[in-house]
Amino acid sequence: MARVNWTAEPWHESEMLECAMVVPETPNTSTFTFRAPSGAWFDYEPGQFITLDLPVPGGNVQRTYTISSSPSRPLSISLTVKAQSDSIGTRWMLDHLKPGMKIRAWGPAGIFSFRRHQADKYLFISAGSGITPMMSMTTWAWDSGEMPDITFVHSARRPSEIIFRERLEQFANRVPGLQLRFTVEKPDPFRAWNGYQGRLNQIMLGLMAPDYLEREVFCCGPEPFMASVREMLISLGYDMERYHQESFGLAVASEAEAPALDDVVLDDAARSEITFTASGVTQSCAETDTVLAVAKRAGLNIPSGCTFGLCGTCKVKKTAGEVHMVHNGGISDDDIEAGYILACCSNPMGKVSVEI
Amino acid sequence: MLNASEIRAELAARRKNYSLSRALYCDEGVYQADLEQIFYREWLFAVPAAELPKTGSFATLQVGAYPVILTRGSDGTIRAFHNVCRHRGQRLCSKASGTSPKLVCPYHQWTYELDGKLLYARDMQEDFDASAHGLKKVHCVDIGGMVFICLAEVPPPIADLAKTLGAYLAPSGIKTAKVAFQSTIVEKGNWKLVIENNRECYHCGGSHPSLCRTYSDNPRMTAMEGPDAASPDILAHWARCEAAGLPSRFINHPKMQWRLARIPLLNNAESYTMSTKAAVTGMRMGEMPFNDAGSLLFFHYPNTWNHFLADHAIVFRVLPLSATETQVTTTWLVPADAVEGKDYDLKTLTEVWEATNDEDRQVVEENQAGILSPAYEPGPYSTVQEEGVIQFVDWYCDTMSERLGDAPALAAE
Ligand code: FES
Ligand code: FES
Ligand SMILES: [Fe+2]
Repeated sequence: MARVNWTAEPWHESEMLECAMVVPETPNTSTFTFRAPSGAWFDYEPGQFITLDLPVPGGNVQRTYTISSSPSRPLSISLTVKAQSDSIGTRWMLDHLKPGMKIRAWGPAGIFSFRRHQADKYLFISAGSGITPMMSMTTWAWDSGEMPDITFVHSARRPSEIIFRERLEQFANRVPGLQLRFTVEKPDPFRAWNGYQGRLNQIMLGLMAPDYLEREVFCCGPEPFMASVREMLISLGYDMERYHQESFGLAVASEAEAPALDDVVLDDAARSEITFTASGVTQSCAETDTVLAVAKRAGLNIPSGCTFGLCGTCKVKKTAGEVHMVHNGGISDDDIEAGYILACCSNPMGKVSVEI
Repeated sequence: MLNASEIRAELAARRKNYSLSRALYCDEGVYQADLEQIFYREWLFAVPAAELPKTGSFATLQVGAYPVILTRGSDGTIRAFHNVCRHRGQRLCSKASGTSPKLVCPYHQWTYELDGKLLYARDMQEDFDASAHGLKKVHCVDIGGMVFICLAEVPPPIADLAKTLGAYLAPSGIKTAKVAFQSTIVEKGNWKLVIENNRECYHCGGSHPSLCRTYSDNPRMTAMEGPDAASPDILAHWARCEAAGLPSRFINHPKMQWRLARIPLLNNAESYTMSTKAAVTGMRMGEMPFNDAGSLLFFHYPNTWNHFLADHAIVFRVLPLSATETQVTTTWLVPADAVEGKDYDLKTLTEVWEATNDEDRQVVEENQAGILSPAYEPGPYSTVQEEGVIQFVDWYCDTMSERLGDAPALAAE
């Protein structure tokens, strides 16, 4: 029997893409949809990216964009791009790329896809335009009819800057498995907001996805955002083998290309030593111990409350050495600058002195 | 201790243009009524916004029985809350001011966000609803850098003041100023005596030699019959200031609860200094066009008077502590980039008003001591010199009589 659909071959990068549609999403963010003039369809993994050759004045530039559409809808591909203030390529797209124009493209490529890491439950964590691969994967999950359990955490500046909010809500309204958790820096004026507010932290994460330890994590956003997610997960004891990340500035084509993450991972076997200067006590300990626990063991008092870096009760002054501290907002940058640490969430790295 | 109807009687029996009765200045019942009818119901000046310079800055104050805390949140907004923990009621913060990333109760470390939300309460049961236990809000507005609070459930309108004060203050750059110095003193006198003393300069010649180098004690400077009833030198000053973009004319609340006016200093003095020259050199507040812009005077009953000069500003907050004790906090504001020791000398900046405050403290305390004598009887105000006091006392008596209600009418059958 003859096939009705997909009689053609998948698209190949030798063919230029034709811009078919431009849709504004949020301020400075638009979705560009491309089709292959030959009628070819698009075959890729949700979460992958393609590279565009953009004819900006002064010479072509190549830019990599995660595909925001899903291969389950193969007639076209969409890229959702957000112009940062210093952008050249993306700015050009927003200002000049119109339906009918043809663009050279390479790909698709990339290893950031949940299809490479099958799991029962996923935790997607993104910030800003890092939402695009998550959108692709979520659409695939929906279209496949399987819709695994996904907790979708997204962080934006304002509610009006949450890209794909309506589409995601439509999905979430129809299936039990998709849980949306948005946090914003600030609400839009004259618009009620009852989601989360503030920078993503451990407590928020615990509220958004209480079972995060059981979930396969996919993370995409600016590097500082991803670094703070990694810090949170590491200090919560998450198995980082199950953590996967993509940076929307730097899409990775193969495992070998993936940058090594130089996160601080505390080592149980590493020895440290804390000197409590006011009491004249020196205590040897493991790097994985907290300053608070070591002080207690040494019979010294540091008042504490929450024990996870939120309330600030355990603030002490560090006079020498280095600690690794993952706090939850219980200390200000000024205090950190001035040498203070929160004893409950600081691990000594080597020899450390504190004023106790 | 007088009850409401006795207070009503005292107010009704007052002689027009005479000082108040002994009880109205000393009685415990009157003090409670003043708190309930005025301090818990009116907009009160709390702090200059400059006292809360960054995210996490806080300041506390005590209004009668109410401890209040103000914070600046991560969104830059200044908010006010009852300084009372929603767990078992501990006073959350006992310090006068400081910086803290979160508000943490010292008792069991319940932790609140700077916007009052309860973030964390350790080991509370499953069905505990943190969202229902945020800090209770106190109404709070920041008008051009002057932050007012109101404890009433429904505060009186403030839009008119906001509009006018905002416009008058804008060139003075109070929003962007910084705190150079703050002093808090306690005057052993009723809060009304503190305000009365501020509302006249009858006493200035005798009490304030250093202030009188620059500040005119001519009563026509600060009392005014109509919008143009000013002397030629004031009219000339207004013309010059307004031409330079400084709103200057006398403008007041219909019942005189507040007033704004820009007045010249003596002999083109620039500032309240011993030398009469600017205390902050090489820069001016906000957009002030010249040094000798005089002083923009602003009072708002019941608890603030202020001076905004070209080189600095001095804001005053009055809070009653008991029937016969009042706390007065003075804050000196200078341009944000002024550096102490380089652009200004702290002593030069503060000495005149430090001295003046102390001199005023003494006259108020002596005033209270005399009124405490059973021999005291109300005396006549000078209508030449004490127009401002008469206006204040009228405002006070009218407000109180109105709020304490008419004498109970005979019961309808
Ligand atoms: S105990 Fe709360 S921050 Fe350390
Ligand atoms: S009273 Fe504040 S935490 Fe218990
Ligand atoms: Fe005085």
